[in-house]
Amino acid sequence: MIMESYDNKKRAAQLAIIGIIAAWIVYDTRNSMLWGRVLSKVPLLLTGNVNLWPIQGGFALNIFISLVSIAIASVLGVLLAMGMLANAKSISLPSFWIMNFFRNSPWLVVLFSMLYLLPFEISFLGMRIAFPPAAKAIIGLSLPVAANLAEVIRGAVQSIHGGQWESARALGYGTLQIYRHVILPQAIKRMIPGWVTLYALLTLATSVATVTGVQDVITILRQSLATENERALLYFYFAVMLMFFAYCYPIALLARRLERNLKGHAI
Amino acid sequence: MFDLDYSWLANPIYQDWLLRGLRVTLQLFAISTAFSVAIGLSCATFLSFKVWWIDAVIEMFVELFRNTPPLLQMMFFYFTLTQLGLTWTDSEAGLQRPMLSAFGAASLSLSLFGGALCTEAFRSGFEAIPRSTLEAAQAIGYSRWGLLRNVQAPIAGRVCLPMLTNVITNLFKTTSQASVITVAELMYYAGQIYNDTFRTLEVMTIVLMIYVVLVSLIAWGLVRLERKLSYPGYGKA
Repeated sequence: MIMESYDNKKRAAQLAIIGIIAAWIVYDTRNSMLWGRVLSKVPLLLTGNVNLWPIQGGFALNIFISLVSIAIASVLGVLLAMGMLANAKSISLPSFWIMNFFRNSPWLVVLFSMLYLLPFEISFLGMRIAFPPAAKAIIGLSLPVAANLAEVIRGAVQSIHGGQWESARALGYGTLQIYRHVILPQAIKRMIPGWVTLYALLTLATSVATVTGVQDVITILRQSLATENERALLYFYFAVMLMFFAYCYPIALLARRLERNLKGHAI
Repeated sequence: MFDLDYSWLANPIYQDWLLRGLRVTLQLFAISTAFSVAIGLSCATFLSFKVWWIDAVIEMFVELFRNTPPLLQMMFFYFTLTQLGLTWTDSEAGLQRPMLSAFGAASLSLSLFGGALCTEAFRSGFEAIPRSTLEAAQAIGYSRWGLLRNVQAPIAGRVCLPMLTNVITNLFKTTSQASVITVAELMYYAGQIYNDTFRTLEVMTIVLMIYVVLVSLIAWGLVRLERKLSYPGYGKA
């Protein structure tokens, strides 16, 4: 009972603060034209197109980059985790070093390196496949995420009690069968919160993709600010921060809820 | 295949640039880590008082900084704080000048970003102490201060150390983004060097190596500290 009223009071206070900010914004729109200017640029910031459709970039591009990156990173991360969990030292040690290398390198620096390491087009069977900056950004972002994910997967697999390995072996299961029928069904449940958290972090990190010159929301923000009144700066930054927050905060909340649900049935 | 050429590395000018950049990176890291830990500790202490309105404000601060990109925060602090009136008048030139340099803006925003992450780390440390432990300590007559010094801090500190390691290495990696707002740190000088020599790939591999080595050293040191401090039999060593 006491905790509930405490949480309610806290929520009420937060709603009050949000309410005050909203009221200030409403009050401010009556005095200055700046909110109107931001509003007219919102479609551009969201999709890179003044008419909102078709999508040419903007925040939609950030989300697109994050989705493709997490897909690539998931595959790479699983492979890397399998390497780290392998019994053969000749596989597990290099995997471990690769994981550590990418986990300890800054996203921005990896992104820059990929920008110059990858060619701008690939010749493949006589075809020329262009390699746009967005593709480089995706690859540059998915490498550190894959390394972090591999660590999450390894942690989840190793958190399964060792006795289960032994009992499964006693029942005559092979290593792959143990993974498939005993370890993974439990481990997957434990890696999902980490995976969701990583996705939220990755979405925040897509802001760094602006250095590759893609038309993401930060690039568009800088371009539109170049033509705007100086006083509009604050308003534009507020709008873009709100976009990231509105997308990432629910995901972070989901990750936390999943994690809390997990605590109940740990072995 | 790539035709790598590292001869620029022998040039004393470029060596000097790298060292200068490294020094600024380390300064930025030291300042922002110190302030992050200070912010985190004070916020977590305030949270432990369980006052609903303080809790509400701190939670909003933490969520705001955790769920927006640090790059955007840095740009926000660098470009808009002057708009909010943080300027001083240069008496010699008679001009309005921003009070925060790029370095100042970067340290401020990194401190707040890291502070939000640290608050979470310390809070989880405090919350990990079982209620029964606290009650037992109170029952044998610990004062409020004694409880904090001899029971809460030692346990919470050890519990939150792995998370703190993550936050601190993350902070070091994020300092590289300060180059976007023209702080003359390692990434910035890397750009200067490859603009000069056109050896982009070589410069980036060297800089990437420097970052990886430094971050690994910091992580390794903190993990060693964690092992050294761990209580035998309490938690995972």
